[in-house]
Amino acid sequence: MTMTDRADLLQGTLDLLILKTLVLGPLHGWGISKRIRQLSSDVLEVGQGSLYPALYRLEDKGWIRAEWGVSPEGRRAKFYTLTAAGKKHFTAERSQWRLFSGAVEQVLSAT
Amino acid sequence: MRQWLHRIVRRVRALAQGSALDRDLDAEMRIHVEMEAEALVRAYGIAPEEARRQALVAFGGIERYKEAHRDARGVRWMSELAQDVRYAARSLVHAPAFSLSAVLVLALGIGASTAVFSAVDAVLLTHLPYPHDEALVRIYEQNSPTNRWGLSVVDFHAIEAQAHSLTAVGAVQQREVAVTADGEPEQLRTGFATSGFFRALGVRPERGRSIEPGDERPGAPPVVLVDQAFAVQTFGGAANALGRNIMIDGIAHTVVGVLPAGVNELAGMHARIWPALQLDPPTRRGPFGLYVVGRMASGVTLDVARRDLAAVSVALLSAWPSFQDHVARLTPYSLRESILGSAGHTLRLLVAAVALVLLIAVANVASLMLVRATSRWREISFRTVLGATRGRLVRLLVTESVVLAIVGAIAGVAVGAAGLAVLKTIGPSIPRLDGARLDLRAVGVAVALALVAGVIVGMYPVALLLGRGAAAALREGNRAVSGGRHAHAIRGMFVVTEFALTLPVLAGAALLLNSFVRLQRVNPGFDPARLVAIPVALPSARYANDSAMSAYWARALPLVREVPGVVNVGLGASMPPDYAWTFNNFDLIDRPVPPGGAQPTSPWTMAGREYFATLGVPLLDGRLFTPADTGGAPVVVVSRTWAEHYFPDGTAVGRRLISGGCITCPLTTIVGIVGDVKYQGLDGSGDAVYEPLTQGWTQGLNLFVRTAGSPAAVVDRVRAVLRSVDPAIPLNDVVPMEDRVYASIAQPRHLTTLLGGFAVAALALAAVGIFGMLSYTVSARRREIGVRMALGAPHGAVVRMIVRRGMGHAVAGAVLGLAAALAGARWLAGALYEVRATDPATLTAVTLLLLGVAFVACWLPARRAAMIDPTEAIRAE
Repeated sequence: MTMTDRADLLQGTLDLLILKTLVLGPLHGWGISKRIRQLSSDVLEVGQGSLYPALYRLEDKGWIRAEWGVSPEGRRAKFYTLTAAGKKHFTAERSQWRLFSGAVEQVLSAT
Repeated sequence: MRQWLHRIVRRVRALAQGSALDRDLDAEMRIHVEMEAEALVRAYGIAPEEARRQALVAFGGIERYKEAHRDARGVRWMSELAQDVRYAARSLVHAPAFSLSAVLVLALGIGASTAVFSAVDAVLLTHLPYPHDEALVRIYEQNSPTNRWGLSVVDFHAIEAQAHSLTAVGAVQQREVAVTADGEPEQLRTGFATSGFFRALGVRPERGRSIEPGDERPGAPPVVLVDQAFAVQTFGGAANALGRNIMIDGIAHTVVGVLPAGVNELAGMHARIWPALQLDPPTRRGPFGLYVVGRMASGVTLDVARRDLAAVSVALLSAWPSFQDHVARLTPYSLRESILGSAGHTLRLLVAAVALVLLIAVANVASLMLVRATSRWREISFRTVLGATRGRLVRLLVTESVVLAIVGAIAGVAVGAAGLAVLKTIGPSIPRLDGARLDLRAVGVAVALALVAGVIVGMYPVALLLGRGAAAALREGNRAVSGGRHAHAIRGMFVVTEFALTLPVLAGAALLLNSFVRLQRVNPGFDPARLVAIPVALPSARYANDSAMSAYWARALPLVREVPGVVNVGLGASMPPDYAWTFNNFDLIDRPVPPGGAQPTSPWTMAGREYFATLGVPLLDGRLFTPADTGGAPVVVVSRTWAEHYFPDGTAVGRRLISGGCITCPLTTIVGIVGDVKYQGLDGSGDAVYEPLTQGWTQGLNLFVRTAGSPAAVVDRVRAVLRSVDPAIPLNDVVPMEDRVYASIAQPRHLTTLLGGFAVAALALAAVGIFGMLSYTVSARRREIGVRMALGAPHGAVVRMIVRRGMGHAVAGAVLGLAAALAGARWLAGALYEVRATDPATLTAVTLLLLGVAFVACWLPARRAAMIDPTEAIRAE
């Protein structure tokens, strides 16, 4: 678990990743960070310090909704759900990101 | 739109429930750490304690994240603001000398300016309490820009009949008359008014009816309007007053109306009761004693009304040959302007002075804050290095300035309220000043000025930092030379400004003082010591003609003369030094007025033979009155100035004149010349013409009594004697003539006192400013001075170096101020007596005074610099 193995998150991509994890269903904070780690094969590590402010920000923008609930393990936790606006935003952002990352890849792999 | 709403709701909730949200966040993060620990236990089988520790390490400082989270919530600035205010308050308390002086200076500046502004606002800017008061005019007869007087009955009737530009016109005559309502006669200020007076002003009685045109006809049943207070006092209420009778000047009047509560003057005329004015048909054009107001028709400007009235004036010349002043015109003036008169000018002077003082105060505070800000250079650099953002620093410093300005403003409001109260009691007696309230807008402007200055100066160190970088600043430490030099230049500018602003205030005060001292030295023309005047108004019903009046005085005067302690008694219609009784026009037989010219006018009064001896006025030429001067061959006595004015060759005695344009009357002969007495104020001329009472009496006269010792004991006996002759005559309060002379210059005395106060304040502020700047220079250059002295610089050289630096600023400021004072001189000219507003001696004196004070303020810190111990100063860094 050394830092060098991991990529620093590009600013702005965190929001996209969080929204992505929530597309699959409601999750609590720890679940979100675990899911990102899993889905990126331990490459992307979400600093908890940026996770919670980001969650608040997204909630503020109305893309996600938060409510206290009980986890499958029987633990009380705050669960985050994607809103309809959030879904729309995610779709738009995702195509934006694909366009961008594809272009960057294309530039970098040019010989 | 909905999203915005959503956000606003969330923000408000975040603010309102800040701590609840924090608890929420606490729980969420705790759960996060617990879940992480459990996952670690499950995955690697570590002991739960260790797992929890690792989880916490992975999470990092919870507090820091909570902070970041609060940031995202957008409420951080709120808690920081509270923190900043607490910090600012603490740091201000820790610097009591700075805080106290800044607050004091601000409080004085804001207080003085708001008090004066409030007074000005009440008097100048507020409307008269009549509907559409801008359409109201007062009409004068005027034959030169400075010479205007009242209207005659002929003038008034002509305007009523012919002026198309006015919808209503009314005349009023104010007299002190005997009024008997219940029991004792009382002398009351009474406004005899025509119906048009109330119509023009738009004033209606609260009860009953107004005066109607029918009441003005000579011989109509006399009616009167009374004010609310009079009705309550005399009849026990407004309702009881209607239909009751009161004796006014010996004639029964029926109360037909009661004016609304609070009306104790109309159009600037103070009176308790308002009888209908019945004007007898005139036999000649004069005399001119009516106060006439009019209301202009809608859409009519003052210019239109002026032309309209001028046409009326011209038409009157051919109809009434007794008055042939071809230059004189009926002239309308805005009523507001005519009521306020010179008070407006006085107040504008005060405003100018106080605005300068406020600016000096603000410059001073700004300069104080600049020093404080520069001395915190190191602290601010530290904060930057430790990670404070620029925005945060600006907020910190600005908060401090704002806290200071607010405290200063609160103290300023208190000072302002007190100042206004003082102004009302001791200030110049100005119409409508009583109604002044502390003006919140004025407070707002003053506070805003202080705030803006505070904010700008508060940001100064941050601005410097932006230009230089914190690390460099830290390395330089307190010897932040370039920043210091920059700040010094700005402080120097503040000091120059303060001196430039102070000089005009000082000059104004000194000129007024100079003028006032001259005014006090003016000889009123009579000896006021142990001299009193007792005003006596004979009721005109029982004393309708000359014989009745002369009979009363023929009985009363010998009795008064016999009262022990009385040296001399004399009768006169005027009251020196500022009441001339009347002004009259005349034609000198030997010097006819050229066609189209203006007839001369002069203060005109009536006097008994003993008047001159009683007042101590010497006979210079010719003779005084004799009992034989009964009007068959009218005579007058003139003053020395009058005689020199019209007959410079010294041949006034024996000359003849036509009095009041009465070309059918016998010619009047000048029989004597007496010493000058001031009747138009101490700063007025000594012109006067006296008619003997034996030629024609009047009901209202002043009995002048000269006593051997203190008048107090004698006066009661004199009053008793007068009452024994006729108990129905009301006797007014006795006027000691020394008080009268003193009171006649109350206005310039008040103005001088006030402006003097402002000048002292300005001088003190400027001195504090330069003293502060040099004290700071000395402490900032301590080391350098130490080195100089170690290298052998004598004490004198050090003192000279510091003083020269300070005086350079003072002189620059004084020169600028002198230019400003000269430029503004004409402002003051009207308020000065026998002193020119550019009087070189006065201006030189105040410049020297200012520089002298500056020198002392420079020398004190310079002396401290010379006492620096070189070894200590060098070792200190």
